Amino acid sequence: MATDLTVKIGGEAGQGIQTVGDLLCRVCRQAGYFFLAINDYESRVRGGHNFLQLRISDSPVLAPASQVDLLVDLDGVTCALHEDELKEDGLILCRPEQQPERDRVMAIDFAHLAEKAGNKAAENTVAAAVCLALLGAGEELCLKVVAQHFDDKDDNIIEINLNAVRAGFASVTESDLKCGDLLWKEQHPAGAMLDGAKTLALGAVAAGCRVGAFYPMSPATGIMTNLVQLAEHFPLVVEQAEDEIAAVNMVTGSNFAGCRALTATSGGGFSLMTEGIGLAAITETPLVIINAQRPGPATGLPTRTGQGDLLFTLHASQDEFPRFVMAPPTVVDCFDTMQRAFYLADTYQVPVIVLVDQYLVSTTVLVAEKLQISPNAAPIAPAQPPADPASYERFAFTEGGISPRLFPCQSQALVKATGNEHSPDGHVSEDRKNRTAMVEKRLAKLPAMKNEQRPPLLHYEDSDWLLVSWGSSYGMVREAVEILRQQQHNVGMVHLVDIWPLPQEPLQGILSQHKWLLIEQNATGQLGWMLRAELGVKPQGSILQYDGRPLEVDRIVTQAATRIGG
Amino acid sequence: MPTVKDYTNNYENKWCPGCGNFGILQAMKNAFVAEGLAPHEILLISGIGQSGKTPHFLECNFMHTLHGRALPVASGAKLANHDLKVVVNSGDGDCYGEGGNHFIHAIRRNLDLTLLVHNNQIYGLTKGQASPTTQREMTTNIQSHGVLNRPFSPLAVALSLGAGFVARGFSAQSKELSHLIQAGMNYKGFSLIDILQPCVTFNHLNTTAWYKERAVDVTTLEHDVQDRQAAMLLAMEWDERIPTGILFQQDEKDFTALNPWLQEGPMLQREYNTDKINAYIAGLYQ
Repeated sequence: MATDLTVKIGGEAGQGIQTVGDLLCRVCRQAGYFFLAINDYESRVRGGHNFLQLRISDSPVLAPASQVDLLVDLDGVTCALHEDELKEDGLILCRPEQQPERDRVMAIDFAHLAEKAGNKAAENTVAAAVCLALLGAGEELCLKVVAQHFDDKDDNIIEINLNAVRAGFASVTESDLKCGDLLWKEQHPAGAMLDGAKTLALGAVAAGCRVGAFYPMSPATGIMTNLVQLAEHFPLVVEQAEDEIAAVNMVTGSNFAGCRALTATSGGGFSLMTEGIGLAAITETPLVIINAQRPGPATGLPTRTGQGDLLFTLHASQDEFPRFVMAPPTVVDCFDTMQRAFYLADTYQVPVIVLVDQYLVSTTVLVAEKLQISPNAAPIAPAQPPADPASYERFAFTEGGISPRLFPCQSQALVKATGNEHSPDGHVSEDRKNRTAMVEKRLAKLPAMKNEQRPPLLHYEDSDWLLVSWGSSYGMVREAVEILRQQQHNVGMVHLVDIWPLPQEPLQGILSQHKWLLIEQNATGQLGWMLRAELGVKPQGSILQYDGRPLEVDRIVTQAATRIGG
Repeated sequence: MPTVKDYTNNYENKWCPGCGNFGILQAMKNAFVAEGLAPHEILLISGIGQSGKTPHFLECNFMHTLHGRALPVASGAKLANHDLKVVVNSGDGDCYGEGGNHFIHAIRRNLDLTLLVHNNQIYGLTKGQASPTTQREMTTNIQSHGVLNRPFSPLAVALSLGAGFVARGFSAQSKELSHLIQAGMNYKGFSLIDILQPCVTFNHLNTTAWYKERAVDVTTLEHDVQDRQAAMLLAMEWDERIPTGILFQQDEKDFTALNPWLQEGPMLQREYNTDKINAYIAGLYQ
């Protein structure tokens, strides 16, 4: 039986459960383990109840687990809220004054130990050390990781935190309580510790993104925070705009001037950007937007997750024009997706919307695969200006609808563009024939755009039943499929990553020949709507979760088994 | 040397005969020529309205953008390539209404942009509704009982936001306006030139004659151009006399000079280096 262990740490906002989780992840990494950590937090700066849930395994982790091995209560309410998730042999770690009446409880006065170590602020380090001690980790390994973690701090702070680790370990030496069967041997890490936000930002840098403009909005802010950190290492300027309208139009201005540029936002901000998407579309200026979905409408649940923006994204902004919509399935795929997004935006001179969500953006995983820079990653050079600069037309009609693109002020040829309908030279035109021709020119890119699309991810696609899903739910559905198959259900999966434009095959062939269930994190089955409209196929049923929380593997398994079995 | 002829194109002009925009267009061409700039060395960014059409009527690089959004697009172009000479054409509705938030923050951001606001105190393209600068007594087909809102005072707002170059021009004084545009373009930072301009079709109150009676060249007044408070008082004068010219000018470091990420040259010129990215990525796996 493979190692599979879940730790849940609950605390108030501002209490530092992130620090505890971060230290745990780092120690796991140094011991050669894989992990997946999710963040569940409220939209507040202080107080409330947040948790971080870490699943540790000796093989790659696809999804969070529902059963907890070690429950860490830092706020006095975690036990009561999550005790039902605790396994029978699970262990609780809490403060002495909050000790519940049950077996297998370890009560530690973290603050007192931290004070003894030199500073009450080291409370989280004490908590992390006690967790690790209960999980059987070695003190030396933890000391090493903590020293690395704080290596940019003063010596004094490092020493206090090392003392905190020692105190944490010492506090449980007398106890025979132990949790799990992890073997803590320092090993070469199995990979990099990455979250969706960081990987998206890295992907943008790999694609030569030079400008970032954004307005802070959960859960997209982390992407831009990461971009700012990368600006210390790579040529990149990041500007906080006055609103999302400014952000998207700044990015269009940067792209027009010749630099790859990125903006990231979430539902409400994306709503404000819709006007700007249209400007990029009609001026055929490349545009890459990340929409990190959160449940809405309006403010909705700012710090939670969902997949409610699919149809909105396909249609955002008035009238008709080609666009790409893509939804990376995993943290590691975010890297490749961003490079493709910039490549496709430049190549086809269209908007590209990368659809992620709070779950994907804030989930930390150990990524074993090496992040690969794509051969297409580098920015595309402008076209060669014509011998007679006066003959240049930015919107010249071509067979595939793509006109040679030049950058303003970089040659004698003048680059003229307008958000009004225009003739090939970029001047406003209300001519009837020209209007028809321009609409057709822009839409003429679609056949080639369809050919760029990655096929859906398929697993056991010859099965009697298929689960059909998209975007960040990949890991959960994948795990559900494995469990269902262990239960002798003949189930496979079809998972869409490139959503729009939607190529007909292989989807139509597969979906018209199988029974299938739709799995989405919205209430109306938006992917199902799209598949029915585009391919004329209809599911036998759907499993929809729209509570703002990550998709639950158990729920998929139970509901799918009922449908398939019945 | 570039000449005015280089800036002339044969695209059909769509303004009303007698429109104040013609004076602004001429002043722009003269300013560009006087600066020795050829059409391919200038990027015009405009919004929507009669002012927004300006770039179509002279030869140059341009993007004619969305209503109110010229400043963000221009800012993005400057972030990408701060060597660009960028001039923005906007109007009183475009800049002070629809794009009001961008106006405020573009001033604070202080990128090296020159903003020309064609301020005719009326919405022309949508046929005569009140703009943010329309005077209170004016009646329109929408403000049928007269404008109730107080007029927006762009120069006072800009001064209060710390703008380093604040000027007012007048479309009928093309030569002076041309000099103002040159001064704005040579100012290292954000320059605002609000331009009084008659709308011969829809604004029968603020006519050329009305402006002429009131316009007074600020250099004829005893005014220290580096005195922000004195400039503020002049900026708020309106009913009896309207000071024109540079009301305030003070040198300070612009966005590009202050931004640590831009010190090694324009982003457009920066090298794409796969080795550096690969080395960074390798570090994550150590």
